[in-house]
Amino acid sequence: MSRFFTTGSDSESESSLSGEELVTKPVGGNYGKQPLLLSEDEEDTKRVVRSAKDKRFEELTNLIRTIRNAMKIRDVTKCLEEFELLGKAYGKAKSIVDKEGVPRFYIRILADLEDYLNELWEDKEGKKKMNKNNAKALSTLRQKIRKYNRDFESHITNYKQNPEQSADEDAEKNEEDSEGSSDEDEDDEGVSASTFLKKKSEAPSSESRKFLKKMEDEDEDSEDSEDDEDWDTGSTSSDSDSEEEEGKQTVLASRFLKKAPTTEEDKKAAEKKREDKAKKKHDRKSKRLDEEEEDNEGGEWERVRGGVPLVKKPKMFAKGTEITHAVVIKKLNEILQARGKKGTDRAAQIELLQLLVQIASENNLGEGVIVKIKFNIIASLYDYNPNLATYMKPEMWQKCLDCINELMDILFANPNIFVGENILEESENLQNADQPLRVRGCILTLVERMDEEFTKIMQNTDPHSQEYVEHLKDEAQVCTIIERVQRYLEEKGTTDEICRIYLRRILHTYYKFDYKAHQRQLTPPEGSSKSEQDQAENEGEDSAVLMERLCKYIYAKDRTDRIRTCAILCHIYHHALHSRWYQARDLMLMSHLQDNIQHADPPVQILYNRTMVQLGICAFRQGLTKDAHNALLDIQSSGRAKELLGQGLLLRSLQERNQEQEKVERRRQVPFHLHINLELLECVYLVSAMLLEIPYMAAHESDARRRMISKQFHHQLRVGERQPLLGPPESMREHVVAASKAMKMGDWKTCHSFIINEKMNGKVWDLFPEADKVRSMLVRKIQEESLRTYLFTYSSVYDSISMETLSDMFELDLPTVHSIISKMIINEELMASLDQPTQTVVMHRTEPTAQQNLALQLAEKLGSLVENNERVFDHKQGTYGGYFRDQKDGYRKNEGYMRRGGYRQQQSQTAY
Amino acid sequence: MASRKEGTGSAATSSSSTTGAAGKGKGKAGSGDSAVKQVQIDGLVVLKIIKHYQEEGQGTEVVQGVLLGLVVEDRLEITNCFPFPQHTEDDADFDEVQYQMEMMRSLRHVNIDHLHVGWYQSTYYGSFVTRALLDSQFSYQHAIEESVVLIYDPIKTAQGSLSLKAYRLTPKLMEVCKEKDFSPEALKKGNITFEHMFEEVPIVIKNSHLINVLMWELEKKSAVADKHELLSLASSHLGKTLQLLMDRVDEMSQDIVKYNTYMRNTSKQQQQKHQYQQRRQQENMQRQSRGEPPLPEEDLSKLFKPHQPPARMDSLLIAGQINTYCQNIKEFTAQNLGKLFMAQALQEYNS
Repeated sequence: MSRFFTTGSDSESESSLSGEELVTKPVGGNYGKQPLLLSEDEEDTKRVVRSAKDKRFEELTNLIRTIRNAMKIRDVTKCLEEFELLGKAYGKAKSIVDKEGVPRFYIRILADLEDYLNELWEDKEGKKKMNKNNAKALSTLRQKIRKYNRDFESHITNYKQNPEQSADEDAEKNEEDSEGSSDEDEDDEGVSASTFLKKKSEAPSSESRKFLKKMEDEDEDSEDSEDDEDWDTGSTSSDSDSEEEEGKQTVLASRFLKKAPTTEEDKKAAEKKREDKAKKKHDRKSKRLDEEEEDNEGGEWERVRGGVPLVKKPKMFAKGTEITHAVVIKKLNEILQARGKKGTDRAAQIELLQLLVQIASENNLGEGVIVKIKFNIIASLYDYNPNLATYMKPEMWQKCLDCINELMDILFANPNIFVGENILEESENLQNADQPLRVRGCILTLVERMDEEFTKIMQNTDPHSQEYVEHLKDEAQVCTIIERVQRYLEEKGTTDEICRIYLRRILHTYYKFDYKAHQRQLTPPEGSSKSEQDQAENEGEDSAVLMERLCKYIYAKDRTDRIRTCAILCHIYHHALHSRWYQARDLMLMSHLQDNIQHADPPVQILYNRTMVQLGICAFRQGLTKDAHNALLDIQSSGRAKELLGQGLLLRSLQERNQEQEKVERRRQVPFHLHINLELLECVYLVSAMLLEIPYMAAHESDARRRMISKQFHHQLRVGERQPLLGPPESMREHVVAASKAMKMGDWKTCHSFIINEKMNGKVWDLFPEADKVRSMLVRKIQEESLRTYLFTYSSVYDSISMETLSDMFELDLPTVHSIISKMIINEELMASLDQPTQTVVMHRTEPTAQQNLALQLAEKLGSLVENNERVFDHKQGTYGGYFRDQKDGYRKNEGYMRRGGYRQQQSQTAY
Repeated sequence: MASRKEGTGSAATSSSSTTGAAGKGKGKAGSGDSAVKQVQIDGLVVLKIIKHYQEEGQGTEVVQGVLLGLVVEDRLEITNCFPFPQHTEDDADFDEVQYQMEMMRSLRHVNIDHLHVGWYQSTYYGSFVTRALLDSQFSYQHAIEESVVLIYDPIKTAQGSLSLKAYRLTPKLMEVCKEKDFSPEALKKGNITFEHMFEEVPIVIKNSHLINVLMWELEKKSAVADKHELLSLASSHLGKTLQLLMDRVDEMSQDIVKYNTYMRNTSKQQQQKHQYQQRRQQENMQRQSRGEPPLPEEDLSKLFKPHQPPARMDSLLIAGQINTYCQNIKEFTAQNLGKLFMAQALQEYNS
């Protein structure tokens, strides 16, 4: 339309500039294509015929427009690029230029650009602030333009001497075309309003401005055009210094006076408006100086962040483009190409993709495309964080979850979509509805990644904050997603994939205590089996059954060792957690994991440690102290339980490892909700050690070479002994130590009160699912072991003791006492016999007293001394050894006999 | 406290009354040519030593002090003593000699015998045969020929019988110590065994007649019931001694092992030396037959450096210590057996 009126002068450029500003500006410099593409779109529809000259000049003006834009946002790099293009375009247009003379607008941009560059060059401050690329571009561009301008020197000086002339010309030419330009303006406005949802609010203001302008146009064309143009220069060239501006204004004023073709009134009105405008302009200018460009009155300018910025609200497709699969896919690829590049705004990319999905769904492009884009959205969500250590922001996480959910919805709704990693880009089928849709992408990988992200979020949240609880609520969502994927893969996936997703499911199940199943177990099965079944159906699968099913599948089908190992460990853990000790133990023994776990990778080892600990705790709950002790010994004796279970880093080794290692270790940490209570663990260990060690110590008190069952327990005892002043126990350890001391004396009641009381209940025992059962087990154990200890310690002072007394003392029933004592007698721990009729234990004095023990030890030592001495003697008599050696052997035998004899003698002696 | 002092008193009286017997009984240890045949101790000195330990010593810590007195013929009379202050680590610059001189000078001013005649030391379960005691007694005896060391055993004393013994180094040991050569050969030459290291000098405790009279009177007043402790077996004592004995036996074993290695090494070396010599001889013979000059003689001791023989003094001391322990145990068990028989007899008599 406007092209009809254009005469090839720069008026065209000016007008389109003024109109275009509003639209292209936000698009910014990056998408070099976009402004071109945009204008082309317009022209395709509107233009009919153009001369070669028009075409060339069109090209030039477009480029100039871009340069001006770039100048405005101080994007020198862009300027450089465009300038080079401009040079080429000018070269193409050479023939026309030769005919017509150098176009004014061309000279003008050259002059302006040079001025602009010089100004930038002088501005040292600004240069410093400039990023490296820009600074480099600035110096190259400056040199280039100097060189280039030498050819046009005469023109430029000419222009500089009387810029008004050219402006005048422009203005005159503009007059004719003002009508059209305003039209175009409106047109552009329409486009921008439709595409830029966000800009809508700002639109009215620009519209009103337009409106004003239009009025002016109608009022007095010449004036307006001038004004318009002036306004343009003012607003666009932010760099033009005020002096220049001043000069221009005066020129304008004089020109205005000179011209004055209209009536006085009109003039007055125009003057008024001008004043207004000047004011506005001033405002705008000051604002710009304040660097608040982004929210200008007109709202045209968006301050661009980053090096290669993506536009915040990008224009996806030009208006009227028919949105087809090909276009969308092309666009998608275009967006994806920016992925991973330095300086790409990842957030914006995600937004872009989401917009694309919207467009795709609005245009009914079919599920294939949507699935494809969704895959990419999730991938870029994962990409959002530049390094491994940082975790997703909550919004991102939420978005990610939603996105996966939507994706799953689509996949479930459309069973004809095939998704797979190994589908090549080329063989994808996104549109052809007749054939099954094929999309590249792997839902399993996405879900696994999501699970990892979840773990990361949990790792990085303070476990004692409300935030953690909030995050933990997402766990249910994660589980449902995994479940859905599982269902999906069960239908479509390969066994490998099923194994993997099963493992995910297992990893989310194994550590949870199934309260429902527990409750069900507790309620006596008096109700009919039918109702129970109903109940079971209502509440879903028992986690035990679920685990069984999943694990069995993995055992049978898995081909990678790691998944099977993990599954076994989780399975054992789950068994142990639910007090199925024998299943757990058998599984552990059958798997032979103990033999080769040290070759596994650290996370698996951590899992193994967790499993062992859980196994030990399970054994303890069953009252199998020995098994409990053995299971916990490895973890607990190292003193690094925290580290071994992946529940925290040890501070002392912080210096030993470097930053990198620490990061790796940090990533291995188990999230807090999976933690095994360390105090509980230690308490269980210490109590089982106590139950084993105290009777043992009592039995072997006088044994010179007695070994320790548990070093750690002894350590605790020693620490307790070292205390100069013993207060009432405070910590769990002190409780156990105090209890051990009481037990040593056979005082089970005190021992009991130390082990089971309010404090210990709160700290330890209440953490068990069946706390009361455990407590009653513990009491019984304490009674039994105290009885044993008592018998060991004090059997020497009794000749006989009635079992009834013992059963009263330890509040055990008679048969139990009987069985314990019988066991001790059979194991030759207690030298006694049971007298059935009187129900008494008759002690046999056989164990040596303290002195006798000492004497025995002394005798042993003397024996070795004699032996050593003989060796010395041997040396002396070495040459004639035979005779003495014989004698010596005889002596030795004799000595052995004497030793035994001595022992007997002493025995008889102490029988007093 | 009261009973102990009384016990001490009674012991003192009994020993003073049986001076002759004690002198004869223990006389055989102090056989022969020693300068001192008898030690006569004032009751005051005994009490002072006991008091010193009571106030300062505890557990395994020992207290030490200086004995003052004079020599009359072959009898050493100890008439007074003063304690050494306990050593602590923070007053390392404490000058013992100056303290002694000062003390003695001050005592002379109050007309107390100021001749330095030895020193005393408390002991823990009779473990006094140590290197430190040997060294200091040697220096005493080296400076003042008549000096003795009094060993006071507070634990035995607490059980009812005063245990105070005077020891001197035998002249043989003095000689060896003077040489400062404790190699096996030297000891062999000196003919020293653990029995001949220390000689015990009989002790006589002498009180003034007035005190004796007082004692008699006190004894008459005290009831027999206070002496029931006499029947106590005090078995912990035996255990402790056994333990200590065992430790010493261990040390002895180690020492013997060390000696054994030495012996083996030397004999091996001897063999090598022998072989070397033989080879050399053969070679020389061959050379001679070929008419060549014989190989020059080399210093064998350079080729085969003799091993450092382990000092035997320690093992001697350990043996001596073991001996003391054994004596203690023997004494103790003998006493206890007596007590047991007595108790049995009493029981039978009662029932």
